[in-house]
Amino acid sequence: MEPEDEQSNSMMEEICSNGGEESARTRPIISGEQLDVEAYASLYQGRTKITRLMFIADHCDIASMQLEALRMAYDEIKKGENTQLFREVVKKIDGRLGPNYAMDEAWCDSVDRRAEQRKEKLENELNAYRTNLIKESIRMGYNDFGDFYYAHGALGDAFKSYVRTRDYCTTSKHIIHMCMSAILVSIEMGQFTHVTSYVSKAEQTPEALEPVTIAKLRCAAGLAHLEARKYKLAARKFLEVGPDLGNSYNEVIAAQDVATYGGLCALASFDRAELKSKVIDNVNFRNFLELVPEVRELINDFYSSRYASCLDYLGNLKANLLLDIHLHDHVETLYDQIRNKALIQYTHPFVSVDLHMMANAFKTSVAGIEKELEALITDNQIQARIDSHNKILYARHADQRNATFQRVLQTGSEFDQDVRAMLLRANLLKHEYNVRAARKL
Amino acid sequence: MQSIENLVTQIQGLSSNASDITALKDYLKAGEDLLRSESTRLLSFLDQLDPSKHSLGYLYFLEPCMYCSITKERANTLVPIIARFITSCSAEQIRYVPEKFINVCKRYKDQVLLLEAPIRGVGPMLTAIRKIQSSTEHLTTLHPEFLQLCLLAKCYKAGLSVLEDDIYEINLPRDFFLYCYYGGMIFIGQKRFRKALELLHNVVTAPMSSINAIAVEAYKKYILVSLIHHGQFSSTLPKYTSSAAQRNLKNFSQPYMELVNTYNTGKIVELETYVQTNREKFESDNNLGLVKQVVSSMYKRNIQRLTQTYLTLSLQDIANTVQLNSSKEAEMHVLQMIQDGEIFATINQKDGMVRFLEDPEQYKTCEMIEHIDSSIQRIMSLSKKLTAMDELISCDPLYLGKAGRERQRFDFDDFDSVPQKFNI
Amino acid sequence: MDFSPLTDALASKSYEKIADICDDLMLKVAAEGIAFQDEWPYVIHLLGYYYVNDINSARFLWKSIPSTIKDSRAEVVAAWKIGQHLWTRDYAGVYDAIRGFDWSQEAQALVAAFSELYTKRMFQLLMSAYSTISTQDTALFLGMNEDDAAYSDVQQQGWTLDPASRMLTVKKQPHVTEQKLDPSKMQCLTEYVFHLEH
Repeated sequence: MEPEDEQSNSMMEEICSNGGEESARTRPIISGEQLDVEAYASLYQGRTKITRLMFIADHCDIASMQLEALRMAYDEIKKGENTQLFREVVKKIDGRLGPNYAMDEAWCDSVDRRAEQRKEKLENELNAYRTNLIKESIRMGYNDFGDFYYAHGALGDAFKSYVRTRDYCTTSKHIIHMCMSAILVSIEMGQFTHVTSYVSKAEQTPEALEPVTIAKLRCAAGLAHLEARKYKLAARKFLEVGPDLGNSYNEVIAAQDVATYGGLCALASFDRAELKSKVIDNVNFRNFLELVPEVRELINDFYSSRYASCLDYLGNLKANLLLDIHLHDHVETLYDQIRNKALIQYTHPFVSVDLHMMANAFKTSVAGIEKELEALITDNQIQARIDSHNKILYARHADQRNATFQRVLQTGSEFDQDVRAMLLRANLLKHEYNVRAARKL
Repeated sequence: MQSIENLVTQIQGLSSNASDITALKDYLKAGEDLLRSESTRLLSFLDQLDPSKHSLGYLYFLEPCMYCSITKERANTLVPIIARFITSCSAEQIRYVPEKFINVCKRYKDQVLLLEAPIRGVGPMLTAIRKIQSSTEHLTTLHPEFLQLCLLAKCYKAGLSVLEDDIYEINLPRDFFLYCYYGGMIFIGQKRFRKALELLHNVVTAPMSSINAIAVEAYKKYILVSLIHHGQFSSTLPKYTSSAAQRNLKNFSQPYMELVNTYNTGKIVELETYVQTNREKFESDNNLGLVKQVVSSMYKRNIQRLTQTYLTLSLQDIANTVQLNSSKEAEMHVLQMIQDGEIFATINQKDGMVRFLEDPEQYKTCEMIEHIDSSIQRIMSLSKKLTAMDELISCDPLYLGKAGRERQRFDFDDFDSVPQKFNI
Repeated sequence: MDFSPLTDALASKSYEKIADICDDLMLKVAAEGIAFQDEWPYVIHLLGYYYVNDINSARFLWKSIPSTIKDSRAEVVAAWKIGQHLWTRDYAGVYDAIRGFDWSQEAQALVAAFSELYTKRMFQLLMSAYSTISTQDTALFLGMNEDDAAYSDVQQQGWTLDPASRMLTVKKQPHVTEQKLDPSKMQCLTEYVFHLEH
């Protein structure tokens, strides 16, 4: 394990020991504090590290944090060869970080010049391979091109080059390599339909995949479902990510993300039984959750019906989740769904619920909770009715017998109407057909 | 040697039994040209015939009189004669030449309209339908004529007598379209919206090779009645709807589709504004009255929604939620809905509260059992009819020829798709 | 015109048949080409509709009445006034319209019968729609003065008055329904099962 990780782990453990207690609700939650950009960035490497930092810079309101993110992005870019990103970040810094973080034309020129030469060399090599028709060399040639384009930020070209290796793959390993490259680039480009299709291509290779590859593919599939707003499917994928992932996929996703994305999606979309069996009792996923104790705690709170505490955790996490490049667009929806789930679950066991108490538990006013309940009842998500006079919610137990009678009569009259209309239409057609036939004669 | 006088004698002699009548029919058929050429004189001979005994002959004499141009004056003479004939003629005899009878009746309708007295035609036209139809399941060409007279004479109730029959047999598609359209209007007038929807739906979804004006007008009314009755409207037509209708109806009823969108916002003010700005369009379609009912139905719909959610709610909250001006207005709306059986509730004036109740129907009374029983009977007879129709069609050589050409073996499970299969 | 079925129905107080009789008669005389409008008993016809609660038909009848008649026969207009209030659900206005005209000899009995029936209907409505209601509103709905509403009539039905708030607590009448089954239904049931099995 790398030293950075150990550090963050020990920090996490400290939080765990707080969160595990019953009293956790009353204590301040550490992650509610401002995001530690450095610790966050240390979880990732490669291009995603840069884009995540720039995303934070674009979306946070705190100037110091913004500059911190930009500074780290600058340093990271300088290690690579992407002059386009470099120019972008310099423009964003706009001289606010002093002369050390200004435009470096000399660097750009030298990188670009080297890139030209490298490209020429790669082209020559590839042409030579192609005249010799050595499959493996051609594949390598295209792959090198892919790597080259990726490093310089030409994602579209990189994708095309990687995909082109496909015709020259001779082993399952090659196919997997091609798929993983394509997936990486597609995620960077935000082309999640490609992600899905290359994940399934990789999974269809005849040879058994390595556990770490399987884990990576689950992550990629989870991200694709998340983007498509299919939270239940996303949750299932993240929950299946194996322990072998570790930090091996940190050019895309950190283990902490698996816990957060999977946990929140599960909470928003699973029913109680599924939550228990697939999340809380999931030994494998528990290891991920240990990395983000707040999420673990809020899931436990939710399951144990400690909604106030659960909502506290969620509220505190929100600002940081909104800075996450993948979760950003989904935070509101997921939060709404989780809150609705909590409201539904809260009311479920009761015959009657005092709205004052419920409003308290959900940190809102009586009028507010009444409106929220109204929406859920209208949507048929809660079978209850509100006694607005006494501010009590009463569970509604539909009379099965009456409901059946009602439905039967309804179905009967629909059948009646449909059959008569159908007979009429059939007769009309018959008539028309006869007329047409008669005309032809 | 044929002469009008001869014909009269023949009629008088050959009207007593079936074989005579058949002979008479041939005889009259041969004399048709003569009758037509002498059409101006025919009226004077009618006195010598008894409309109830000599119905066939009477009809042959009457029909040519319809073809010359009809002035108001002439209509004044003809209308009572035709009315008496329709009322007293023998159904058995006129069915030998149904097309002649229908012709006379149609002209009769034109004449009462010319006299601006549609009500004069209502009774006789109903009699005519009963005499010409082979069974109550038979839709005649006179049905739409009758319903139109009912509408014009504002005798909506009289129209119900034929609308309550279930019809299956149709001669002309046009009859069916008009019957359903006029019938829909009558049910709308009587505020029997469920039946109105059924008829209008029949028009919209009927097989048609090209779109027609009746279907377009029916669709507009269908949209409005849907909103009034169900509080919602789904623009997806069933899959058996003709492609002509699928393609065109929405385009022809744009202001109505927008009305639906505005309705769906649930905001009464927006709806009223929309209606106000598009008033002329609705007015020119003669639908303004219905549109106004749509607006007031929104209050009902919003109140009904509250009954699903609340056990008790203050009148003031109801007024606020459904955008009424005062709690008294809310009380009156709730009261009306209770009166019409649209909700179950009790108003508590003392606390200014309404308690919403469940439907008290327990499905235990004899009355209810009687109702269920009759529904079962009806559905059993319908399903028998359906089976019979199924058998009939699967033996129909025309059908088999066509189905065989399109598909090797036609799967009869999806009976529903039959109309589309046929719809070339 | 032969009004005997109508006069018979009026004489025997079979008011619920009036509307149908009038409808049939009207179509009949119209078919005979008689200019019936001037002599038509529109007042009775309208009231007949109200009696069977068919306000839609009443409205269409009113619309078909020639304007000359509307101008010349005040009683027809007065009769429609009742219908208008029924149409707009101006519950109290109905009583005003009934009382606001000096009805002719022929109409009097029918108006009185309708008025009584209407009060009965209103009473049923109040009973099903209210748990408590002010004496003032009760009086309006039942077409009586407030004291009568508070003390005499409704209390016979077991309603109780809270003199301080002048609110009446409505007593619901137990609903009696026939629940006994005819044994012949068993036969039907057997037939249904047979139908389903074949």
